[in-house]
Amino acid sequence: MLDYYDPSKTDPGTGGLNPDLDYGTPPSPSDAQVSVSIDGTTIRVPEGTSVLRAAALAGINIPKLCASDNLEAFGSCRLCAVEIEGQRGYPASCTTPVAEGMAVTTQNAKLARLRRNIMELYISDHPLDCLTCPANGNCELQDVAGTVGLRKVRYGFQGENHLDAETDDSNPYFSFDPSKCIVCSRCVRACEEVQGTFALTIEGRGFESKVAAGQSEPFMDSECVSCGACVQACPTSTLMEKSVIDAGQPEHSVVTTCAYCGVGCSFKAEMKGDQLVRMVPYKGGDANHGHSCVKGRFAFGYATHKDRIKEPMIREATNAPWEVVSWDEAIAFAANKLKDTQAKYGRESIGGITSSRCTNEETYLVQKLIRAAFGNNNTDTCARVCHSPTGYGLKTTIGESAGTQTFDSVIKADTIVVIGANPTDAHPVFASQMRRRLREGATLIVIDPRRIDLLSTPHGGKGLHLPLRPGTNVAMVNALAHVVVTEGLEDTAFIESRCEPRQYNEWREFIAGERNSPEAMEAVTGVSAQLVREAARAYAEAGNGAIYYGLGVTEHSQGSTMVMGIANLAMATGNIGREGVGVNPLRGQNNVQGSCDMGSFPHELPGYQHVGDPAVRARFEDVWGVTIDDEPGLRIPNMFDAAIAGSFKAMYVQGEDIAQSDPNTQHVEVALSALDCLIVQDIFLNETAKFAHVLLPGATFLEKNGTFTNAERRINRVRKVMAPVAGLEDWEVTMALSNALGYPMDYRHPSEIMDEIARLTPTFTGVSYEKLDRLGSIQWPCNEAHPDGTPTMHTLDFPIGKGRFAVTEYVASEEKTNRKFPLLLTTGRILSQYNVGAQTRRTENSQWHHEDVLEIHPSDAELRGVHEGDWLGVSSRVGQTVLRARISERMLPGVVYTTFHHPGSGANVITTDSSDWATNCPEYKVTAVQVEKVTQPSAWQRHFEQFDQRQHQLLTPAAIHAEASDATALK
Amino acid sequence: MSDQQLQHLIKMVNQISANNLHHGDAEQSAEVIATHLRKFWARSMKQKIIDYAESDGLELSTVSRLAVKRLSEPQEA
Ligand code: SF4
Ligand code: SF4
Ligand code: SF4
Ligand code: FES
Repeated sequence: MLDYYDPSKTDPGTGGLNPDLDYGTPPSPSDAQVSVSIDGTTIRVPEGTSVLRAAALAGINIPKLCASDNLEAFGSCRLCAVEIEGQRGYPASCTTPVAEGMAVTTQNAKLARLRRNIMELYISDHPLDCLTCPANGNCELQDVAGTVGLRKVRYGFQGENHLDAETDDSNPYFSFDPSKCIVCSRCVRACEEVQGTFALTIEGRGFESKVAAGQSEPFMDSECVSCGACVQACPTSTLMEKSVIDAGQPEHSVVTTCAYCGVGCSFKAEMKGDQLVRMVPYKGGDANHGHSCVKGRFAFGYATHKDRIKEPMIREATNAPWEVVSWDEAIAFAANKLKDTQAKYGRESIGGITSSRCTNEETYLVQKLIRAAFGNNNTDTCARVCHSPTGYGLKTTIGESAGTQTFDSVIKADTIVVIGANPTDAHPVFASQMRRRLREGATLIVIDPRRIDLLSTPHGGKGLHLPLRPGTNVAMVNALAHVVVTEGLEDTAFIESRCEPRQYNEWREFIAGERNSPEAMEAVTGVSAQLVREAARAYAEAGNGAIYYGLGVTEHSQGSTMVMGIANLAMATGNIGREGVGVNPLRGQNNVQGSCDMGSFPHELPGYQHVGDPAVRARFEDVWGVTIDDEPGLRIPNMFDAAIAGSFKAMYVQGEDIAQSDPNTQHVEVALSALDCLIVQDIFLNETAKFAHVLLPGATFLEKNGTFTNAERRINRVRKVMAPVAGLEDWEVTMALSNALGYPMDYRHPSEIMDEIARLTPTFTGVSYEKLDRLGSIQWPCNEAHPDGTPTMHTLDFPIGKGRFAVTEYVASEEKTNRKFPLLLTTGRILSQYNVGAQTRRTENSQWHHEDVLEIHPSDAELRGVHEGDWLGVSSRVGQTVLRARISERMLPGVVYTTFHHPGSGANVITTDSSDWATNCPEYKVTAVQVEKVTQPSAWQRHFEQFDQRQHQLLTPAAIHAEASDATALK
Repeated sequence: MSDQQLQHLIKMVNQISANNLHHGDAEQSAEVIATHLRKFWARSMKQKIIDYAESDGLELSTVSRLAVKRLSEPQEA
């Protein structure tokens, strides 16, 4: 019998493999095939494949303990020994590569004896408490003992052993019980090879050898970032999820997608009935290949947190107590308010906000509700405040509002440029992949005011840090392009065949001008010209240069210009249209890409089709059966301005916390207070909900079906594993509201919504739930030309035909330092918390980050007499807040830094409403501030405390009764 | 009409202008800016800035004023 293993002929979602099986060693990338015989079965496999893997592919399982197919083979346990014809001894099959014509025997009496002896040794130093062990039923050691037929242990347990070793319980999510450790070092290798953190080592030798975190510290004190890779790798119960210790082994599982960040990791939600026991990263997920970070892996407890909003509620005024009502009552109340408002103030007086955390189908439905039932285009999304410049900048230059690559593409990059992004904290699983490539020797260039962790990648190659002044990105990208153009580093063949000559010539003349040289820009950016030249050469001459950028690019007054500058740079060097290169926005929230794709912006219908285009409108009008307004609607900041001016009166907000995430909090609060009706649909009483009149309980990603689209345009399925707490999935709520407004919607399942999206969106025509289930995931465009999706974009041409260079003049931000506000504040995020923190703050992740702090350079601190931990008043032109000081040299003097994961920190009280010229994306990354020592919280924070307490009282039933009498008086 | 809202609109147009001064002469720049406003601004915002330009317009930069003027002229199809 001859079995061919050909990955291209099998199911592309899984590469033809069963993601639930462990094939022992990683696949070999070789194209050459060799043929081997294993126990008489002949199989052809790629050259370089291990005998262990070849056997597994042939369906023959050789016992193993130290090998796993996500780790390089190590060869320490010897259980995988085999006999090979013509070879002496019993080589380890995990470290022995196949050879043409090799004949392997995996089972015979001698091998059986050998394996039994090895197991006997292992077990003699292992507790025999299998029945009460948390890994019982899911333990590789137990399984192997069973397979090899271990029946007795001759050595006894009296000798020296490790059975009394103490358990390390310091990590909130997993425990480390060394008494059960077999020192296979899978955890150590997982931390190195999969995660790239190098937190674990094997200490000592022989019998003394043991696993140690950091410098033999508790896990929590070590460099460990709690990604869980070691826990997953451990074949015993040594490293074990505490949730499994508490609940026991799960009994069924469902594959779904993480709802935290734009990496979009696939997970198996492992369940016991409707209880989620653990989330295990899914090997079949093409974004994460079985890896995860602390958020997706462990921080799911918020879904069952007591603070969840479980019933619909209404109230007439925001200082009145909430009244619990039925869904029907709440929907009718909301619909009547919206209708009354429109009757009184006109069709354009209401609007809504879609969510980057909800599914594509839900987002699509909200914008449809607004355009079809509200009858205007006043729809926007929180992507306004993060990646709207990406849409504008990329569409203008390369014709599509999305990143060009897959995540895997980075493995072929020779120079990796990271601009204004912090992947190890914000996109951790992708950062692990980047780090793998950096360990293989790729050059890293970081353009960021702050020294990010990627620069200290263990065993990384060459790294250049260009610590520019906040707000000078465009000056920097122009200087880089200037070097490319003037030093003859352009890819002229690419430019001639792929780009519009007129725009190119205009741009070239502009960029070659002396004012864009690194020497001229040095005074602006603060980065030495020589370093800039070095970086430009490293990018242009690399072979494959790939650019990754984040909010440090977009959240500026010149965010859109900078995105165009990045596209210029990639086109000029021909770094676009194949693997290993490209322009890649790293999206913050899980479905930022999707919410933009789904037509959340006021000027664009789904698929980035402008509302002003009559042909586009006609297609939608045909399916929707209404007339669509031909003018763009209001964006979020315009809605706020109009609310304060009195012409915008009611709003439907799904799954967004605009009161916390938008800049200039006090302005936002005034705007929200001015609304006659604010309808908030969320899982918690978020900051925005405190200004609401209708509160509709939202469903978490565990409670609904749908899809998310990650930063590589990958559409992933979200699958329901438990019932929504309040009975309805979010799309059902939007549907009910639409029906109550008189615009009928009738979907029975999100798959029907996706079918409608596919009909109306040219880049989605080939997408269906059936295909998603079959392929695992799909990267759009997916249509007739690309039936299985498009991993790499722009390989032959651009959607607009030829690429368009854009002139990117540097125009300094109006937000400048002066004597009164001498420092520049820039903002960012950290690994364990997510965005506004509503979810992660309600999990043990807070053990890593319980408050936002202000990072300040030692010289600025000294000047102000500030010490670590002091309370600091941070004031800008619009407000003041108080944060604790952390002395840090990660930024240059003159720059201070904070995160905004906690509402009480009020980081956005100080950010101004200065914004990107093209899209109004707020300039979070640059605020001129002064910092001084203070002794008490700011006035805003004190007010926040009070308001927060009051709103929580209004939520509790007790308060409703106790205060019912004075509530009327308050109105 | 709230002053603050108008102030923001004025600031926005001027900012768009400042970032689009490189399209040939002032008239060409004004056309690019007007196109931007047509494409991205809501009806009510366009109307407000047109009203302002016609009644006062002093805080608009020269190119902004040209652009808003074009915005108010009917577009030939
Ligand atoms: S949890 Fe992750 S970072 Fe921590 S030790 Fe394990 S593999 Fe390393
Ligand atoms: S902790 Fe687990 S994975 Fe690590 S060496 Fe021990 S048994 Fe192996
Ligand atoms: S937060 Fe991001 S990196 Fe972490 S598990 Fe979720 S999708 Fe993956
Ligand atoms: S599995 Fe091959 S030596 Fe351990």
